[in-house]
Amino acid sequence: MAVQDKVDVAIVGAGASASVFASVLARAGKKVVMLEQGPDWQNGDLISSEIWGRRLKTVNPAILEGKDRLGYSYNAGWGTGGAATHYFAMFPRLLPSDFNMKTAYGRGLDWPFSYDDLAPYYDRVAQDVGVSGDAKAEERWRPPGQPYPMPPIRSFRHGDVWLKGFEALGIKTARATVAINSQDYKGRPACVYDGWCNAGCPIGALANPSFTYLDEARKHGAEVRPFSTVTRVLTNEKGDRVNGIEYYDRAKQRQVQEASIVILAAFVSQNPRILLNSATDKHPGGLANANGLVGRYVMAHTGATIWGMFDEPDIQNYMGVLAAMHWSYDRYGKTARPGAFGSILWHCSPAIKPNDIGGIANSRNDLFGQPLVDFIKRGSRQLSRLQAFGEELPNPDNRVVLAGEKDEFGFPLARINHAYDQDAVGVWQQACDEGLLIAKSAGAKESWALRTAPPTIHMVGGTAMGRSAADSVANGYGQTHEIPNLWIAGVTLFPTEGAVNPTYTMYAASLRGAEHLAANWNAIAG
Amino acid sequence: MSDIERRALVRGAVLAALSFTIDGAEVWLSPSQAQAQGAPINVLRPDEVETLEAVGETLLPGARKAGIANFVDNQLGVLPGDCLLMARIASVRPPFVNLYRAALGAVERSCQTIYSKRFAQLTSAEQYDFVDRMRQNKIEGWQGPPGPFIYFLLRHDAVDVAFGTVEGIESLGTPYMAHISPERRW
Repeated sequence: MAVQDKVDVAIVGAGASASVFASVLARAGKKVVMLEQGPDWQNGDLISSEIWGRRLKTVNPAILEGKDRLGYSYNAGWGTGGAATHYFAMFPRLLPSDFNMKTAYGRGLDWPFSYDDLAPYYDRVAQDVGVSGDAKAEERWRPPGQPYPMPPIRSFRHGDVWLKGFEALGIKTARATVAINSQDYKGRPACVYDGWCNAGCPIGALANPSFTYLDEARKHGAEVRPFSTVTRVLTNEKGDRVNGIEYYDRAKQRQVQEASIVILAAFVSQNPRILLNSATDKHPGGLANANGLVGRYVMAHTGATIWGMFDEPDIQNYMGVLAAMHWSYDRYGKTARPGAFGSILWHCSPAIKPNDIGGIANSRNDLFGQPLVDFIKRGSRQLSRLQAFGEELPNPDNRVVLAGEKDEFGFPLARINHAYDQDAVGVWQQACDEGLLIAKSAGAKESWALRTAPPTIHMVGGTAMGRSAADSVANGYGQTHEIPNLWIAGVTLFPTEGAVNPTYTMYAASLRGAEHLAANWNAIAG
Repeated sequence: MSDIERRALVRGAVLAALSFTIDGAEVWLSPSQAQAQGAPINVLRPDEVETLEAVGETLLPGARKAGIANFVDNQLGVLPGDCLLMARIASVRPPFVNLYRAALGAVERSCQTIYSKRFAQLTSAEQYDFVDRMRQNKIEGWQGPPGPFIYFLLRHDAVDVAFGTVEGIESLGTPYMAHISPERRW
């Protein structure tokens, strides 16, 4: 075992939230080391291919269980940029009602801050990473803020075909907000709409962290150590401070990295897994887990997915972006659907490929043989997708625990249990029903919903933040309640999820947390 | 850089090429080229290749010629972190060969029980019926990974090789529009 020279900050992961913290702290003059389990992707690695893009996703590190098992590997990232290297860059915000659900409705959990607290950070992130959208139109549903730095991205016919359907049902829409350049921005070119977003965008038109915060962090001296598997956070004898992390390097050698501050910025299985595996006699249930909440409240979004085949020669569904062109918060109200609590966000429509997991072939997974060939041929110019993300409420039984089985480093695997409750399923079913009405009103020649089971899209939770040590793992900045120099960053902090892609909120919350840490460095780092 | 300039970078590139060793030399081939040139199969057994190709062809006519067996075999021979199979992002835990071996074995065991023949020896109608029942988890006495999941994965492998490559997408009359082609080994 080797002990590395002490640094100011050791960050577990090099994904989106890790990059924000690294950028802010490196710019503040701190020595930052990022321990990334996967490769350090270079732009030339981002091959335009559904098949090759799978390299950006993790090899499953968890045992997945429960009625609605998480689609873990599809959602998670592997390597620098994390999941934000293959994300779609759709940038909806949470709404004010998402932050105080327990107080307002007696459901779910409250966030430790309000929409108003986070709003300035949403606006700043938009400037930092480059966001295209129509803020004024979006303000129909949310409080006003700053305009986005770029106008909306271009729309294509395969998105516009749905608008007639929305209008017929009285559902107002707006151009979607995305972290994709509609014009050149900060030296990065405008999008060319080739639909390869999830294979990684090597030109930087899509704001993956390698072009934004991670790039900033490196320019200010942050070091990334790829192929580093962190297994434990180490504490002092009294157990009241952390003093570093244990990890295995590329040569599978055990290393210790000492640090004044440790930030866990890994994904849903890994943050809890590391905390639970760091148990000591002073923390027998794992670090930051005296209340037993580490690993709990894991959530995903359901996705009501509606397909429409349109009787037009070419709706150019092979072009565009994987995020949305149009969206609507009109049905976002928590109590908008009878008998099922929770929000939905309508959005349409992505560029689709034949072999994407959400692509042409899988839109009719009952077809095979020549009918499948014929369908793919027809769908390659006439098929379009409409989708509603649906909210799941936090449930303590949806959780990450350590399994008996161990990996090559003797690190227990994570076991993740997940099942949707009746509210989530009800919201999903009602969204499917409404989606079919939208499709019919839009004039789709054929339309259908994928109704076998609600999918698990996005993943958040596992180390929920809150106002007190009694009901949460960390405070609103990500500082754990139990150990002041142990921090958590990213989507695992979310106490609720709303019905929106999590990345924009995660960026904003990370920026808020990182600046608080930098501003209070001496008091926190000691 | 303009669209045209950017795309010119990849003109003529062999998209979705994989590394195969033929006569001791490493060559880059698409799965269909590997199939046509008889690139060696290294992980799967001949009987497994026969089953995979026959099931693949039933799932998507053209999958055999598109190189489904070469593609799957090639990817089962690389480290899990390098693997490009759908199994990787469908949260299958490696080694992925275990799943394929179990799946192909389950197909053959059921075929022997029902027809006393190998899958490849069934008539087209029997193959279609078998796959249709596997898809719906309606094969009595099925022993192995869930039939619908195997259907999903092998069907996806077939679609990958037939319609996921540059040739496949362009065969649909739609442009591929790559930024970067996979010529280098990752």
